[in-house]
Amino acid sequence: MQIRLKSAAMAAVAAGTLSLAVIPIAGQAPSPAGLSPSTAGVARMDGKPNLSGIWQAFNTANWDILAHEAQAGPKAAIMGVWGAQPGGMGIVEGNELPYRPEALEKKKRNFENRMTVKVANDPSRYDSGDPELQCYRPGVPRANYMPFPFQIFQNREQIMIVYEYKWSVRWIYMDVKSEAPVDSWMGWSNGRWDGDTLVVDVTGMNEYTWFDRAGNFHSDAMHVTERWTPSGPNYLLYEATIDDPKVFTRPWKMSFPIYRRLEPNLQLVEFNCVPFVEEMMYDPLGLYRPGPRKAK
Amino acid sequence: MRKHVLVRSGAVTLVTMLIVLAMPVGLRGQAPSRADVAEAARKASPHSSEEAMAYWKAEVARRLAEAPGRVYDPRKPAMANPPKTPWGAPDLRGYYLTAMYTPLERPDKVTKAFYTPEEAVSAFTFATTSDAGVDPATVHYDWKEFGMDAWQSPVRPNLRTGLITDTPDGKIPALTPEAQKRRADAAAQRRQRDPQTGVQIFGNLYTRCVLGGGAAPLIDGGAPGSDSAAGAGGVTTEMQIFQTPDYVVLVQQRNTDVRIIPLNGRPRLPQSVRQWYGNSSGRWEGNTLVVQTTSFNDPAPATHFQGATEALQLTERFTIVDANTLRYEYTVSDPKTWTRPWSVEAPLPRIPPPLYEFACHEQNYGLINLVMGAQIRATEGRLDPRDPRVATPTDGGR
Repeated sequence: MQIRLKSAAMAAVAAGTLSLAVIPIAGQAPSPAGLSPSTAGVARMDGKPNLSGIWQAFNTANWDILAHEAQAGPKAAIMGVWGAQPGGMGIVEGNELPYRPEALEKKKRNFENRMTVKVANDPSRYDSGDPELQCYRPGVPRANYMPFPFQIFQNREQIMIVYEYKWSVRWIYMDVKSEAPVDSWMGWSNGRWDGDTLVVDVTGMNEYTWFDRAGNFHSDAMHVTERWTPSGPNYLLYEATIDDPKVFTRPWKMSFPIYRRLEPNLQLVEFNCVPFVEEMMYDPLGLYRPGPRKAK
Repeated sequence: MRKHVLVRSGAVTLVTMLIVLAMPVGLRGQAPSRADVAEAARKASPHSSEEAMAYWKAEVARRLAEAPGRVYDPRKPAMANPPKTPWGAPDLRGYYLTAMYTPLERPDKVTKAFYTPEEAVSAFTFATTSDAGVDPATVHYDWKEFGMDAWQSPVRPNLRTGLITDTPDGKIPALTPEAQKRRADAAAQRRQRDPQTGVQIFGNLYTRCVLGGGAAPLIDGGAPGSDSAAGAGGVTTEMQIFQTPDYVVLVQQRNTDVRIIPLNGRPRLPQSVRQWYGNSSGRWEGNTLVVQTTSFNDPAPATHFQGATEALQLTERFTIVDANTLRYEYTVSDPKTWTRPWSVEAPLPRIPPPLYEFACHEQNYGLINLVMGAQIRATEGRLDPRDPRVATPTDGGR
């Protein structure tokens, strides 16, 4: 496969800038408390860790990436405990999001309107409401901490990640510096190995995805740098640096473990949520009907 | 940095509405005729019909000159030693096109299974020149300017007169009585003029962005002589095959649908768990990947492939023929639909990467217009199920 490269000189400079920590694991920034990663027992392929398999994060970051207490949640009168938000420690290092002042106002508005559904024939449909609610793609990094498993398929030249949620796909093009030809929901990913860490540069995401159900958001200028570091045969440390000068005053970082699902013969089960949301989206417009009317 | 976002094809009605709004006031008083709309589209196009036709004539001539050397002969054996992956399996990885001009069923006037090479080129020529019309008033977004016609791709002339390989007349086998009744009921349903029609009444899963079309199999043939959107399927027919030692992954660009096929004999889901794409299991037979799929869901009000039900059983075969061609074969059976199983064979040419995300549901602006239009037509008694521009209820398939 030939993806057009930028000049070799630019690629070399970029690679040099990113691979400061040539020493694996022990030389990196401190990982969440309690993890003592080692690569003993990690499956390998072509001399690199083999990340193929089914993985899942276990935290409550999809509700709120900052630390949060349990709450009744929206529509509590109907949903009871099913709709309640559990408490959680958050995944943001320093537990603070450095929003610009006007961006912080937008985050608050997002939260107030997070269950608003206002379907339209134009991009104004993205102005309010958590995109997850309407079965829209979650983007990166949120896809990695949704409460669904995902499967990694690894080749040397390309790594494909298929998320059970809506079978959202990411293609990670290895060892190239390709540019996103067009914006997308799941972004455009270029990857390379830094020792035993998979480093992925994600660009070209549109501004419509949120980080969580709490309204934390970003712009289309966001650049995500992921680090996937296997830390044993059955878990890895995931880190993501978010760089978005339109929304935040400085880059910030999230990190959490991702665990290998160990059930034998596990498979992703389709989660095609489009039919599940058609009533919610189209009934307010008078455009939903669940089936043919009986003949008169 | 903001770049253009690909918008779903359903918004063509929005473009037409904008053209209508730009028309002189006098014309706006009454509903514009089709001729008025066509004329406005021609005026709005960046190219005149004459300019476009001159360019495409040159391109068509070039493609047709190449055609005799590119005829696909299905009887030619596949390469004996295909390239292998680093772990030693036949290497199917890459990107392929599922568009073609060969129809699924043998045409009515044809009595044989294979053309001569000259006849195959002639059929291809007919399809190409029919597709190459470039009146801006009849194109879909002027998309023919963007290289989306099948003949502009690696689609090849094919010696097969139709894709079906194992019925005596090359047609789909007879329907069971049960299937005939289902079809008659669906036609009656379409004739009802129900102003309360809504999103879920559309049998077309692609209109709703539930799936990229029908579910498996990957192809249902072209229709030479029709425009590509309805016929050869030139639009968004790219797919990718990805492989690891234990899995094959098929990704279809339309709706970015994904099928994960285990090769390691992993047990299937219980039969009570049904999926849009069923549950697949794959194995190698020599150099051929054989995939068997069962446990399709009930897609009502749509149907599965060619009217099939949740009882559909599908066997697919993938074989590398040459450096640029994958042979794709399938056999379908459904005792609730057809009186016997039937099979298809077709070439899938390689294309360059990449695949693009197709965020269909996220940007399904057109669905709103389609449903509102159907409601208005039904209210006015103008719903005509034979009009191909009406998204008919339960039209099923692709």
